[in-house]
Amino acid sequence: MATVIPEIPTSSEAPLEKAVAPKRPYPGALIVVEGIDGSGKSTQLYLLKRWLEIGGYRIHFTEWNSSPLVKSATRRGKQRRLLTPVTFSLLHAADFADRCERQIMPLLHGGYLVLADRYIYTAFARDAARGCSPKWLRNLYSFAPIPDITFYFRAPLDVAVNRIVAGRPKLKYYEAGMDLGISLDRAESFRIFQERILNNYDQMVETDRFVLMDGTVRVNKLQKLMRGIVEERIKLDQFAPKKKRHEAKQ
Amino acid sequence: MKRSNKNSGGDGRNGRGASAARKESKSNGRADASSRFYGLPLPGVKLEDLGGSLIVLEGSDGSGRSTQISLLTEWLESQGFAVQTMGLRRSFLVGENIDALLEENAVTRMTLALMYSTDFFDQLERRILPALRSGLVVLADRYIFTLIARSAVRGIGRDYLHGIYEMALRPDLTFWLNVRPEIAFDREFKKAHSISYWESGRDMSLSNDLFQSFIRYQSMIKREFEYLSNRHGFVEVDGEGSVSEVNRVLRKRIAAQLGIRGTHYHPSNALSHLWR
Repeated sequence: MATVIPEIPTSSEAPLEKAVAPKRPYPGALIVVEGIDGSGKSTQLYLLKRWLEIGGYRIHFTEWNSSPLVKSATRRGKQRRLLTPVTFSLLHAADFADRCERQIMPLLHGGYLVLADRYIYTAFARDAARGCSPKWLRNLYSFAPIPDITFYFRAPLDVAVNRIVAGRPKLKYYEAGMDLGISLDRAESFRIFQERILNNYDQMVETDRFVLMDGTVRVNKLQKLMRGIVEERIKLDQFAPKKKRHEAKQ
Repeated sequence: MKRSNKNSGGDGRNGRGASAARKESKSNGRADASSRFYGLPLPGVKLEDLGGSLIVLEGSDGSGRSTQISLLTEWLESQGFAVQTMGLRRSFLVGENIDALLEENAVTRMTLALMYSTDFFDQLERRILPALRSGLVVLADRYIFTLIARSAVRGIGRDYLHGIYEMALRPDLTFWLNVRPEIAFDREFKKAHSISYWESGRDMSLSNDLFQSFIRYQSMIKREFEYLSNRHGFVEVDGEGSVSEVNRVLRKRIAAQLGIRGTHYHPSNALSHLWR
């Protein structure tokens, strides 16, 4: 419906190219988990984190929407329902930028293994489900480093939705996508919204090289699989605890 | 008064796409709503009923923007036009959050850029679009151009920035009140008896001397504005003239835009102190 005026070019293609051949000018590594609510991703990342922590590896964990500088603005916007698709997206991008510039990038340069619960693909899937242009979103997050591994936890819609609905007294307004006016019934709105997000995730599996994880597999079995993939793809030695100088000499 | 108005057409001396889009929309008789955005329109926004006019004043601190906006508001109201204003950090959503961020040294360039863009789009969606639908004249005290320039001099890509703001509304008129950094320094110092941390670009470690830092930073911003002026077709106004002279230039150009016949104006008692 819109005439795109060539006056302002956007670098929509660039992030995709980067995804294929990422340049990593830092010694650290980045592992992220993605998936809809109830897909089991946070549980699995927690277990991976515990495994690495107990092993003494140099890791840092970061989660979506947690920047101390931006959080209060997001909370207020959500509580008072002030957010539109665009401001919702921009506030989350600001939150991500703060964590990216003050945590993720410095830690990657400092040689840490960074674990992220949700990453830019959450914004691509969710904000596009709210009507933001995928091209605009790709440009918005083009400053983000490309992960070494992106685990995509996929569970059937019913399984994921039931896990969330059963465990929560009430779905939140934006979480359920109520701002989209899909349905007045929160549970139904949530389901339709999650379905849209799931479809958007599915479309990124190839373009963004997701590692597909079956969210219906038993927790410990799935974790074993996840640890195997991490060991295979990441040189964990470089994140192992540094030996003290006198020990190294002996 | 020396007037450096290089642009009489209003939009797109150099902007290929802009002038083409303009011609196209004019030939349709009524302006095509989608051409009012730089790229894709905002999601969920109904375009058909956007009337009104968006007039932007850009220029550094000390260029006289706020003074001119007060005077223009009074003049337009006296001519029977209802006016809505906007400016940086004035959104209900995050205006105060940015104020707080600026007080801290923890905030980094990308976070700040995106908080400002949130602030901008909140005002655009909640204040500007409703005002234009009601046929108001919107006077913007700075617009996306300041935000793009500030981030660009800090090393964020111009294409990246233009990409974020492609959903912004294209102004009907953009004035650039151009003053030399030295003059801006004098005016600012006279007003506040100090120089702001951000307006002197102290986060960029340009110089330990605040005067030097201010001049270098404002010169960088000015170069960025020269680029933006070419790209977007600003109406450049010599901001070093007296308040009344600058105001006369602005009135003349706005009168032509809005179809106002007489441009005579003298401020009321409430604003006469501004009339220097």
